[in-house]
Amino acid sequence: MFDFPIFEMPVIGQRMLMAINAIIHVFVSHGGAVGGSVVLAALAWWANKRNDLVVYNMTYKILMVFFIITTSVGALTGIGMWIHANIISPNAIGGLIRVFFWKWFIEWIVFNLEVIFLLFWFMTWKKYQDTPEGRAKSIKYGIYYAIASWFTMVIITAILAFMLTPNFEAQPWLDPEIYPGKVDYNNALFNPTWFPSLAFRTFSSIAFAASLAILWTWILTYFSSNEEEKASKNRIIKFLAKIMLITVPLSAIFGFVYLSAIPEVARELIPTAVMTRKFADNLELMYSVIVILGIVVVASSVIAYFRTEKMPYVAALSMVVVFALFWGFEERVREFIRKPYLIYNYMYSNGIRPLDVPYLNKVGILKHAVFIDEDKKILKEDKSNIKEVGHSIYLIECRICHTENGINGLKSLTKGWTQGAIAHRLKNLQGGGTPFMPPFVGTDTEREALATFIHSLNEEGVIK
Amino acid sequence: MNWKLPFDIPLVTPTMGIPIEFYDALGIVVFFVHITFIYVLIGASTASVIYNIFGVFKNSKEYDKFAYKMTNLTTVSENMGALWGVAPLLIISVLYTGFFYTAILKISPHILHIVYGNIFAFLLSYAYKFSWHKLQSSKGFHIAIGIVAVLIFYSLPFVFLSMANLYLQPETFTTVNNIWDMMFTPLTGFRLLNFFLTAFSVTAVVMIYFGRKWHSEGDEEVGKIAMEQGKKWFIFATPLNIIILPLVFFAFSPRITEALLSTPFIYLPFIASISLTIALLYLLKRWNQTIFSAKDVKVVVGLMFLAVMLMATTRHGIRVVSFKEPLALQAEATKEYMNNVLVEYKKYKEELKNKPQTDANSPLALAEAKGCLACHSIDIKIVGPSYKEIAMKYSSIDEFKQSIINGSVNKWGEIPMPPQNLTEDELNTLSNWILTLR
Repeated sequence: MFDFPIFEMPVIGQRMLMAINAIIHVFVSHGGAVGGSVVLAALAWWANKRNDLVVYNMTYKILMVFFIITTSVGALTGIGMWIHANIISPNAIGGLIRVFFWKWFIEWIVFNLEVIFLLFWFMTWKKYQDTPEGRAKSIKYGIYYAIASWFTMVIITAILAFMLTPNFEAQPWLDPEIYPGKVDYNNALFNPTWFPSLAFRTFSSIAFAASLAILWTWILTYFSSNEEEKASKNRIIKFLAKIMLITVPLSAIFGFVYLSAIPEVARELIPTAVMTRKFADNLELMYSVIVILGIVVVASSVIAYFRTEKMPYVAALSMVVVFALFWGFEERVREFIRKPYLIYNYMYSNGIRPLDVPYLNKVGILKHAVFIDEDKKILKEDKSNIKEVGHSIYLIECRICHTENGINGLKSLTKGWTQGAIAHRLKNLQGGGTPFMPPFVGTDTEREALATFIHSLNEEGVIK
Repeated sequence: MNWKLPFDIPLVTPTMGIPIEFYDALGIVVFFVHITFIYVLIGASTASVIYNIFGVFKNSKEYDKFAYKMTNLTTVSENMGALWGVAPLLIISVLYTGFFYTAILKISPHILHIVYGNIFAFLLSYAYKFSWHKLQSSKGFHIAIGIVAVLIFYSLPFVFLSMANLYLQPETFTTVNNIWDMMFTPLTGFRLLNFFLTAFSVTAVVMIYFGRKWHSEGDEEVGKIAMEQGKKWFIFATPLNIIILPLVFFAFSPRITEALLSTPFIYLPFIASISLTIALLYLLKRWNQTIFSAKDVKVVVGLMFLAVMLMATTRHGIRVVSFKEPLALQAEATKEYMNNVLVEYKKYKEELKNKPQTDANSPLALAEAKGCLACHSIDIKIVGPSYKEIAMKYSSIDEFKQSIINGSVNKWGEIPMPPQNLTEDELNTLSNWILTLR
């Protein structure tokens, strides 16, 4: 990160900015598009097979909502993930694109097919809806759409899995000690957590989409003035619940397989990731919450299937909310347990490679910070600009996870610390209960400057 | 020249042995498709609002229907435009990583308007389309939705072109620090004007094409309106563009303009201008014609295609001449940096190998390994109290062990001690050792 211009997001911090975009994207695209395409194509096929035109028409109404949301919010937050990554971790996304360029290009081609089939399916629905043959043709577009959208997920999970388990020891994807080094693209792709995470994501997104569709069916039929439509509610929900009864256990099984494929060191960070450091060792709390949430999903699916007419609105809503929670946490956990790395063993969270560390410790992190002004990176003889220099180092090394005085703010984290204590702590960031922090990189003078800056955040009279 | 450039990403560019010209050509083609959809998006969304208003004032169902048909074009072109924008960005990020990211970072957070602004524009354009028949009786409100959507779409090129002009001219990295520095330059002004005029011309041609199609499919009145209005749009938007096109070159930094003058790329905008002039004359000659033949459509579409393709190739020409020097400088600097890094890294590994093995079983080594020494030392207070102080305080070893395992707050001051993750053995070794330090 030291060689690019710096963008700082005040108060909420970089990670939160990205997390907002990421979570919206995962809900809408993986839940709505990948899962939704499968669920809705299945529903349309089932309705047509039974010649149930009311359900078939209802499917269109549900599809319309999914279409509007996935092509706007879903697709654009997908591009957004990339733009956020560009401005937050250019070195990391730049490296990933060098390794995965062709896979991303293939994903883009498949993404094209996905959008085209969706546009076809949705925009020609009315044209084909009047005859069974027409409907069968229309459903085919839906099925192609489902296949294409699943393929886009196949590739992106490979890249996410690579960041967590880049297959360094068994089949190295790169020898970092050679420049310019050879990249083994296949070893990068076929990494240990790819298939487990893909299976987990596939089934959980179908389940999530089914729960969303149940909720939406409820809302649509509740406000509908058409008696036939109102009567179709139970049939649709029962069908969707059947999908849930199949996919929820499968997601749980593959979730466990995925969990077991994660390396021990990373897995140890899960409690911290889920509940923040304060509750990190209260494992009973974590397990009981997970069990309760699991029971809510399973119980509401069972009720929806066996006692559809008894399924209250609250159950449909809580099903969606619980799924959203599960998924949100899965995202957070996956992002967190990768720490202190962004690409495991290759690049730290702040974009500095372990390989760079000995050299930068010798010449200083600011030496190559081309986009930082001279008076903010070279310490004057009277040390009058030491705080500014420290601030520059903060921007390079800390800003990616910390803010000055917002989320995970350094001000509150070091309240009451002496400057000496901060300087000493910086020497051993990976110890002291924070194994998820990358080491401080730079010369002793730079460490002193950073400590001075961090200490100044709590100085009296400084309004920050 | 004084350059400020980031290093290149130290991983090989994945060209798979295919010559770089292939990627250049691929870049031009995908960009052409992207920009064509974007032109249609800008034009069609504008038309769907203008003719909706026409429909109200002329009290004409035909205009209303024409405007509604244009929203189909908006839907397709917004989706395909966003989608085909990904491929050029992907190619640019892999070939010109440093320049592209630097530009994006310099105009952050405004670049995020591309994401969030777009989402709003998409949603509003859907609302506009899907509420068309329901809001027939409250046209004012309906048109207002359409206008807001169009205005947001119009704001996006301002951000995009500022970013593009910044990354195309790496020499500006030393002086430009935010989006406004780049937006209010003659270059961005020229290119924006060129962009919007081209958008209207391209949409005009698309209207003529679909007008003929609708007309021959039986939708005669709407088809006629589309052809008539398409002709007018083209005739009004094109003349200024013909003049501007060859001038845009000269608004780039002198280094780029000079280099361009000695390449064939300099002729391309002139040819594009000529192509547009021919199309303009062709339509002017048919000023009184309301229905166009298949041949007319072919001629106009062909000339417009040629002009847009030439403009896309020109953009690539600017990259070629502009990036030659900075790319070479960047490669050299990266090589030097990486060599320094590798020397130091190998030295470090050597030192690590030769470092005398500390007794792994000693309590001090354990304390180091567990990170205790990050905050504690034996005899002076650092973040936490010294081990000597601690040893003085505790009389019960069990209480002390609990304090290590669960952490503590407010025992020694306001800095809390986080709970530690230790095995029973490790805990015993450490606590016994610390308490002997008294």
